[in-house]
Amino acid sequence: MERIYIDGHMAKFTRKDITTVDVQLQDGTIFQNVEPRCLFPSSDGRNFITLLDENGIEQAVIRSLDTLPAEQREIIEGCLAEYYLIPRITKILNTTEKFGLITLDTETDRGPARIEIRNLLYGFKQVGNRLLLRDGNDNRYEVPDLTKLDAKSRHLLDNFI
Amino acid sequence: MIKTDRTDETDPAQLREEASLTVNEPFRGRQFAANKKLTVEERTLLESTLAEEESLLFAVVGDLNIRNHYARSVLVVTEKGLYGLDASFENGVRTQSFDGLKRAFVKRCYGNALLIFTDDADNRTNFLRFSYKEAPVFDAAATFINRVASGNDREEELRTIESSFEKQFRVCPKCGRTLIRPGAPCMNCQSKDKVIGKLGRYILPYKGILAICLLLAVVTTAVSLVPPYMTKVLVDSVLPNGDKNGLLQCVIVLLVAHLIHYGVGAVRSHFMRVTGDRIMTDIRNDVYEKAQKLQMRFYDRTSTGSVINRISGDSQTINAFMMRVTQEVVVQLFLLMGIIVIMFAMNWQMTLLALVPVPFVVMGSRIFGKKVRPYYRRSWRYWSAVTSIMTDTIPGIRVIKAFARENRSVDKFKKANNFWLQTDIKVSRIVTLFPNVVGFAVTCGSLLIWSVGGNWVIEKPEFISAGLLVSFISYASMFYGPVNFFANLNDSYQNFLNAAERLMDIIDAEPENDFSGGKHPEKLHGKIEFRNVNFSFDRAKKTLTNVNFVIEPGDIVGIVGTTGAGKSTIINLLMRYYDQYDGEILVDDINIRDIDMTFYRSELGYVQQEPMMFHETIYQNIAYGCENATVEDVIHAADVANAHSFIARLPDGYDTVLGERGVGLSGGERQRLSIARAVLKNPSILLFDEATASVDSETEHQIQEAIEQMIQGRTTLMIAHRLSTLRKANKIIVVDKGKILEMGTPEELMEKKGKYYKLIQIQTMSAEIQKTKEEERL
Repeated sequence: MERIYIDGHMAKFTRKDITTVDVQLQDGTIFQNVEPRCLFPSSDGRNFITLLDENGIEQAVIRSLDTLPAEQREIIEGCLAEYYLIPRITKILNTTEKFGLITLDTETDRGPARIEIRNLLYGFKQVGNRLLLRDGNDNRYEVPDLTKLDAKSRHLLDNFI
Repeated sequence: MIKTDRTDETDPAQLREEASLTVNEPFRGRQFAANKKLTVEERTLLESTLAEEESLLFAVVGDLNIRNHYARSVLVVTEKGLYGLDASFENGVRTQSFDGLKRAFVKRCYGNALLIFTDDADNRTNFLRFSYKEAPVFDAAATFINRVASGNDREEELRTIESSFEKQFRVCPKCGRTLIRPGAPCMNCQSKDKVIGKLGRYILPYKGILAICLLLAVVTTAVSLVPPYMTKVLVDSVLPNGDKNGLLQCVIVLLVAHLIHYGVGAVRSHFMRVTGDRIMTDIRNDVYEKAQKLQMRFYDRTSTGSVINRISGDSQTINAFMMRVTQEVVVQLFLLMGIIVIMFAMNWQMTLLALVPVPFVVMGSRIFGKKVRPYYRRSWRYWSAVTSIMTDTIPGIRVIKAFARENRSVDKFKKANNFWLQTDIKVSRIVTLFPNVVGFAVTCGSLLIWSVGGNWVIEKPEFISAGLLVSFISYASMFYGPVNFFANLNDSYQNFLNAAERLMDIIDAEPENDFSGGKHPEKLHGKIEFRNVNFSFDRAKKTLTNVNFVIEPGDIVGIVGTTGAGKSTIINLLMRYYDQYDGEILVDDINIRDIDMTFYRSELGYVQQEPMMFHETIYQNIAYGCENATVEDVIHAADVANAHSFIARLPDGYDTVLGERGVGLSGGERQRLSIARAVLKNPSILLFDEATASVDSETEHQIQEAIEQMIQGRTTLMIAHRLSTLRKANKIIVVDKGKILEMGTPEELMEKKGKYYKLIQIQTMSAEIQKTKEEERL
């Protein structure tokens, strides 16, 4: 079966639950209770959003959120915001380290968080100026732009990256 | 009460007390289990919300509010219903009664999870939200709620949830690391001294030879203090007086001193080198042995390159530092003290002058240590990346060539290597700058002595003689040697700490449980039971959910399902590659976690889709794990596996040395060797994971024949995509999305017309289409 790509005005989304939507395509096709998920959650959260049904089967792919009309885009963004929790670190307050357990006391856009990273190699991944963190419980965090962090935070992070 | 502050010397009794579930004061006179302590506000809210006489069964504290922000959320379970506390709710609380509750489940999103309830009309309530950290306890709570809602005994279910909570106490309250057993001391939270002590045990077996080396070092050091003194004697007494006899005596003394210095030094160097090599060999052996016994989970997350780097490079760094500490530190300290005593005895004023640069050197060392450590760490990370590329690409050279990606591979390597180079250049800048700055500081100290001491020699020759000044300068330059050494010791120490940290990551990582211990029945009969087994590789996605099945001895069971359904995970858990699952897996009614690991695995024969061959002879590959097998046994095993005929045709027969990972044989041939290996083991339980998936029809037929010969009388689990390969199976388990969808005899499942029926239909259809096409072609 050929993959259905959704662009621009070709689909209408209706919020079903916090992470799911109903979709009606221009040709009348309806997908009920599908969950938008990013195909590239770490590297690109705005393009290639797959729509999975309750059985995890892909029904369509939104090529780019930016091509959708504003109100449609907001519905999908709302679902993604509920599904994905990747707190953005705005400040590093303190760091401690003991035998591989790195503890970062941080401020994030979701409130203060203590991040405990057990594996230095696995826990920090830098892509350009973006830093992705993964803690011992597989929770994810990010610093979207390292250059925009304050000097103290940068200095504290420099010990690990 | 759980205490968060803990010393390393915590009393075991106290640890046991802490590992209890009673973290809270009783609520309305009843003790209740909870993963964390409830706040006063939460207890007050519960007092006002709960009906009179309603008491708590247990509580689970989460860490996110429903709006996906960090905040406390609490699930409270009472006899009558469920309460969710979350400051973002209206009045801070929401309720749900057991009546009308159809199902409770945890939906794992990305970095967070939701506890969801559905009612009879399938309406969903997103009750509470929490991060992955708390998800396992909420999972247990959901299981409890479902069972109680469906009428199970509440007290019995409460015990189950308490055991899930207990697992939470298997983590160190201080650092969160999983402990080997509840209440065990946490390796992470031990002091650095203990780490040094732990690594220091490698030195203990060689303490005798090291003590001799130390003694020899003291001799050479003491002897090295003689020449400067002889210089003073020569300049002040012998040369001005023209004392030829004295001159000869001085030269002889110097000759003897140098002879002892270099002769003893050479002997010591040899002993040191041999001892150092032995210590390093011991460390490498231990780390390699530990690496063999680590849980698969460790390898899921750690690259092979990084492990190899630790075994080779880090053990060398640690050895070098330990030798420095046990030998050089003592020698340099002895030298330092000896020189200071002599210098003070010669002239205390000039000695004080010589000490002027010391504070600068010490301060500089501290600053340098802090600055250099992140660079060393970065350098190591990049070097690991380089070795990872090598361990990835060199074995995969065939694929690289097949896709003509040689240049891309080279570019990738060069890029990683260049990153390492850039970082190492930065390390080099700091590492080379610091000793030179220190060198300059100590030279300035010498200049100070020359200028002040020289003036004294000129102006007050009665106070200080020229010979004394020259001798003093010699001692002063010797004095800065140990100072320099101790200043730079911090560099080695930082390097050592980084290496030790990485090595301890392996040494202290949890090994597979009970590698040598546990029950040892005479023989396993092969009854297998999975009881409420739940498992996830990481906390992002549940791989197995509530898996239950019983397999009787001698059963031949086919496990079918789509890719990613969880089939191989069932085998992995049965193999005890992963022990961190909820529920129980029993073999012959014994929990497999309680069976001696070595014995248990010796009773399992495992044939995987991609058979792993070692760079050894075919004979050694078949006899792998059965060192006592006779030649006849090996030939028989090869025969059963339909491998003997092709081996016999090879020029070197059983002596054929295989390339790495079995290069030189076809996929089917490697698979037959792998089956022969399993046959030779004579296991009670056989596990086939897509054994014929990657071979052609003819080879599949040969392998199938071999398998059918082998499985007679043994409990067999076979994962297969091609359902035709399961024709001997008397039981089929259909797995889908980590759950058991159907189970029964093939006939029962065909009658049921469910998933298995559909799979058979699809495969029959595709086989017919293929047959028609082939006929058309003919």
